[in-house]
Amino acid sequence: MAVAEVSGLTFRYPGATASALTDVSLRVEPGEVVAVLGPSGSGKSTLLRALAGLVPHFHGGRFEGRVVVADKDTRSFRPADLAGDVATLFQDPEDQVVFGRVENEVAFGLENVGTPPGEIWPRVHAALAEAGAERLAERRTETLSAGELQRVCLASVLALEPALLLLDEPTSQLDPKGAEQILDLARELGAAVLVSEQRPSLPLERCDRVLFVSDGRIAIDATRDEALDRLPAEYLPRDPRRLPVASGEGDVLCRVDDVTFAYGSQPVLERASLTLRRGEVVALTGPNGVGKTTLAKIAAGLLEPMSGSVEKQGRCCYLSQDPGRYLVKERAEDEAALAVHGDRDRARRALAEVGLAGFEDRHPRDISSGERERLALASVLVADPDVLILDEPTRGVDPPRKAELAARLRRSANRRATLVVTHDLVFAGDVADREIALETRERVHA
Amino acid sequence: MSPVPAAAVLAALAAVALIANRAWVVALIAGALLALCLKAPRGRRWLYLIGTLGSALSVFLLSPLVSHTGTHVIWEGPKIPVVGYLDVTSEEVAAAAIQALRLAAVGLAFAAYALLLDLDRLLQAASFARRSVLAAGLATRLVPTLERDAAGFVEALRGRGVRVEGARGRARLLSPLLAGSLERALNLAEAMEARGFGRAGRTRAPSPPWTRLDRIALAAAAVLVVGAIWL
Repeated sequence: MAVAEVSGLTFRYPGATASALTDVSLRVEPGEVVAVLGPSGSGKSTLLRALAGLVPHFHGGRFEGRVVVADKDTRSFRPADLAGDVATLFQDPEDQVVFGRVENEVAFGLENVGTPPGEIWPRVHAALAEAGAERLAERRTETLSAGELQRVCLASVLALEPALLLLDEPTSQLDPKGAEQILDLARELGAAVLVSEQRPSLPLERCDRVLFVSDGRIAIDATRDEALDRLPAEYLPRDPRRLPVASGEGDVLCRVDDVTFAYGSQPVLERASLTLRRGEVVALTGPNGVGKTTLAKIAAGLLEPMSGSVEKQGRCCYLSQDPGRYLVKERAEDEAALAVHGDRDRARRALAEVGLAGFEDRHPRDISSGERERLALASVLVADPDVLILDEPTRGVDPPRKAELAARLRRSANRRATLVVTHDLVFAGDVADREIALETRERVHA
Repeated sequence: MSPVPAAAVLAALAAVALIANRAWVVALIAGALLALCLKAPRGRRWLYLIGTLGSALSVFLLSPLVSHTGTHVIWEGPKIPVVGYLDVTSEEVAAAAIQALRLAAVGLAFAAYALLLDLDRLLQAASFARRSVLAAGLATRLVPTLERDAAGFVEALRGRGVRVEGARGRARLLSPLLAGSLERALNLAEAMEARGFGRAGRTRAPSPPWTRLDRIALAAAAVLVVGAIWL
């Protein structure tokens, strides 16, 4: 018997002119691992929300068709009633955390679904161990890194031991090894798993079946092997191009020399150095927590190193990994114009360059997450900086948009020095001339 | 110490500060609570301390100017329309000092609650009004979240070469901060519903049993309040 069955589902969000999902039908069998792929805004997250009952109960809107999960029709059962049978891991871990302590956070769902009190703590600690977060049990949630928080959120859903696990871009903040561990774990659970991802190679290596969602419809519903013959080329798994380490020969625009940095008593960087030259795109890679963002911020002048020196030529711009930080103004054009003293012509050109022509008057909060990413990019590219530092610019970005971004950065590479901090090694291989791999907290010279 | 007796002691100290008439008693309580708050991490405590001590200082400086009590004038100011003479008497200064100390003590008791208590365990211990306690816990966490969001906005602006200076520059961030909080609240509500919040038949993870110190602290809190009322 299927764990979930969707029949003729058509759904439109309140106030929307087009349906987010159109005539979607599918069955999910027990233990099946399904990769849900597709462009940003194609309806992947809406499909997962429909399976959790959040569409239509939480979001409202016009709902036609039927979704049955663990023998419960979602029109009759609220999402809270489905919890336990189905568990959802959302995109942004920071927006899911209820409690201040990790173990209480993991216990929250178990308490809600009525788990016998004597079973709660053992299941909490088992789930934390499964998610590789056992050492975090006593920590305060606000002190965790994004990657650590993502593991805690995963433990929260694993603790429920659901029949259907919905993972909405669960690895977006994790390094490749951490992402592989999480997907391997999901595979070993025995639950049916639907995983939506923008780094398709990870789920494609581990899934039984692929759903490709396009414009709200299921364009491909096939076994993994069949899907590999039918998926668009950008979605096919491929090995990252190996990058050299040696520096190029252009003018040095940014030199970070022997810097050390600590957050409070916690050391992050020790005697790290990097040099960026005009004309080159450099990928800064490495595991979570190794200090990539810290080094990038030091290079951008946003953090003052405790020792060492930083020299820069010309204007430097830094793109934060959170596009939610680029929502200060009430019009997209004004947001993009902030870095150029309100020059609207330049702002319009920058918006057009990232595919947001026609979005000038839109409120930055009224656009999709993928469009926010592009607005954030336009907000720094508009300044045409000599040194451009991009921190995880492909988080939540679909493969075709990643290819566009790589091409855009390559086109303008000669005008500046570009540093790209990324976990996405395929993107790094596409965009960069060389790689700086931070492996430990000690002595990095590149 | 368990959070329930600790919260009871803080509430009792705040109550005694409000009830007591002797300035030295209120000053002692405020001093003890300040020392307690200084044990919190430096990065988190400054907002609470500046807010509390700033408000108390404002009360101390302004209330003698607008009140009209006492006969021992220590400063004669100009006459202001509506307000009258800005004279300051020693009685007004003494009254302002005790009001300021009371405000400081109550504010510092809340600061200690927010900074040092394990609010999660307090919530676990609440056998009634759990939704209200959860809402209070989430509201308390709002302050550090807003701080982090504000720092993120400033950093993203600096990353674009836009300087955020002065009160006016920071005030411009209030609107996006509020909008961000509403968006975050909506996302959190969705995640909570997906995790079964609001469902009937909820259970509770077992809390650690109270120690002897916890019982003594709870008794001491009761004695403090009764003693303050009695005296």
